[in-house]
Amino acid sequence: MSGKLLIKNNATITKKSVATHDVSLTSALPWIGPALILIALVVIWPVVELVRISFTDITIAGSLLDFHGFTNYRELLANPDLYPVARRTLLWVFGIVFSTVILSLPLAQLINQDFPGRKYVRWALIFPWAASVVMTSMIWTWILDAYSGEFNLTLTQIGLITEPVDWVNNPGNSFYVLMAVAVFVSIPFTTYVLLAGLQSIPNDIIEAAAVDGAGHWQIYRQIKFPLLRNSLLIATIINLINVFNSFPIIWIMTRGGPGYETDTTTTFAYKLAFIESNMGQSTALGVFNFIVILLIVSLYLKVTKATRTEL
Amino acid sequence: MKRPTKRRIAALASLGLVAAALAAAPAQANVTIKVVTPNYTDAMPAYYEDLNARFMAANPTIKVVHENLSWDDILVKGRTFISTKSYPDVLNLNTFSEFAAEGLLYKTSDLFTEAKLSDFVTAFRDNSKYNGVEYAVPDLASARMFFINKALFYGAGNTKIPKTWADVTAAAKKIKAKYGSKVYPLAIPLGSEEAQAEFQIWAGGNGGRYFDEKNKKWVINSKENLETLNQLRAWVKAGYTQPNPASTNRTDAFKLFSQGRVAMINASVFFPSTLKDYKSKVDYGVAPFPSANASKKPITLGVQDYFMAFKKEGNKDAVSKYLNFLFEGKNYAGFLKAAGGFIPATKSASTEVDSSLLPFIEQLPNAIFYPGTLGAWGPVVAKITTQIGTGITKNPKTVLDSLQKAAESAGTN
Repeated sequence: MSGKLLIKNNATITKKSVATHDVSLTSALPWIGPALILIALVVIWPVVELVRISFTDITIAGSLLDFHGFTNYRELLANPDLYPVARRTLLWVFGIVFSTVILSLPLAQLINQDFPGRKYVRWALIFPWAASVVMTSMIWTWILDAYSGEFNLTLTQIGLITEPVDWVNNPGNSFYVLMAVAVFVSIPFTTYVLLAGLQSIPNDIIEAAAVDGAGHWQIYRQIKFPLLRNSLLIATIINLINVFNSFPIIWIMTRGGPGYETDTTTTFAYKLAFIESNMGQSTALGVFNFIVILLIVSLYLKVTKATRTEL
Repeated sequence: MKRPTKRRIAALASLGLVAAALAAAPAQANVTIKVVTPNYTDAMPAYYEDLNARFMAANPTIKVVHENLSWDDILVKGRTFISTKSYPDVLNLNTFSEFAAEGLLYKTSDLFTEAKLSDFVTAFRDNSKYNGVEYAVPDLASARMFFINKALFYGAGNTKIPKTWADVTAAAKKIKAKYGSKVYPLAIPLGSEEAQAEFQIWAGGNGGRYFDEKNKKWVINSKENLETLNQLRAWVKAGYTQPNPASTNRTDAFKLFSQGRVAMINASVFFPSTLKDYKSKVDYGVAPFPSANASKKPITLGVQDYFMAFKKEGNKDAVSKYLNFLFEGKNYAGFLKAAGGFIPATKSASTEVDSSLLPFIEQLPNAIFYPGTLGAWGPVVAKITTQIGTGITKNPKTVLDSLQKAAESAGTN
């Protein structure tokens, strides 16, 4: 209980100190100004340009012809390749985030326990997160290579397969392999957020429950898991954003191919612009992607606000 | 798009003038030109380093900034340069017409004398025209032939190199019966690296094309092309090819051949030097490419790449000098050597080629070319390259129809 009290005290202290300084916008401007300019330049301006271009007829050489109304949007919606890609994006986002969370929950539990060598296990877990995603994707491409990959070699040596399997390129499982790599990359961050959540649960509640005769599973289900809710929500939403925007894994391992068979809306937008020289449809799709991200971010803001008031 | 760029250049130019006046420098202002080239082989950077150093020594007022990119990168980055308006001054690429259509390129008559231009092989010059005007010069060309691994091919009891698709099927059957899954009788790389070429050379042997030059219309979903795709599917289905042709890049297929795991493959004129680079011990034979049946003429696919120069204020003299320097006898010979075994684009260089090139040059009269002079070709070929391979697993007619539709909406100019 003391943990909670402490947080409460802190909150009141912060509130008081803010109230005593009467900060007006003009006096704050010199301090927040540079940040505001930066945001305007690197966030707001590109978004404005994106929306503007999506309403124009544009050639690959960047010649803006004229105002085009919703033509780019109509063409995009009439593009038969969009719909399989959009469905696949849903599978990509929800499949990866769900699997990541399911795998991270027990992992967080594990590295929260005290055991010899825990430090090294924690380090190892950070690795896929610390390494560049491009590097990770390349390494997996080579591990899973049909002819000279370590994975097939091992499976052949222990006798599980007799002929090499082309994991990355077989049409049936290609996309799932990409998803598995994405889960591999997402687990460290998720696990650490959950670990932080677990560590913030005060020990005395758990001890009290144990004294009252609760078993391990009961403690987990009725005490730890409910208290993890906030960390879980935040990890989920940040993962939603990351996974939706994820580009390097797909691009490096399959280039979204063959055809558009492993594209998500993110790689599809890139392909439209820089492979097929179709800037118009690409910017229209970019606007759609932006709206999706905006929705997830507003969800995030709402959730974090809710969790803060709860504390 | 032109206005701000021009203004900026004008501003820079006037700054330059002021600086020149202040420094009382020679009358001619300094020019920097950016040269972007693909990495035909790993010998390219060293070649350009030497060439550029000698060029700058001879032309002290011109500075050359050089960027050498892998093919994969230059295809994407080349287009990104263009769409972000950071044009290079000199570009070496496999298409030029989309840039010519945008009015970004110098006419070659502005850069070369007619005497110099007449040295380029006429057929290649004709492929460098947009709307009847030459906007690029050929840098080199390739033709393709049918390569076989002699040990595997004859070892399986075959006696004659296939002339028709039926011969290919018969030979593949024997090879598969003899070696089982250890060897792929035929490699068909339809991955995103070069699928457009792989498909065109098979289709060409059936009279199939992407574009009908005579009637000026796209013919991607023609009967001939559909028959070709169905034949390729049949070979894949029978297990005569490497798995997942739609995801196999040409480089992957070449590597399999070099390891002695493929018996028959379509490959380009530079393939012998690639095999040498891979330290391959495969003893190979070269033959004209098989056609659909005895009534169809065998063809080869001729492919040429281009040098082009982008119009920028004040760079005309420099890019002209640079390109003329590159095409001087000794320098161009060095270029061909560094690029590794391609067919020369000039008549003067054609007289002294390596004997291994001769069978390919012999094939040139039967060569068909891409419709590379169309402004729409760039985006259309990009789409063909990424999509045509899906015809192996998906409905081939649907795939060809959707490519046809995309090409038609890109236009025929």
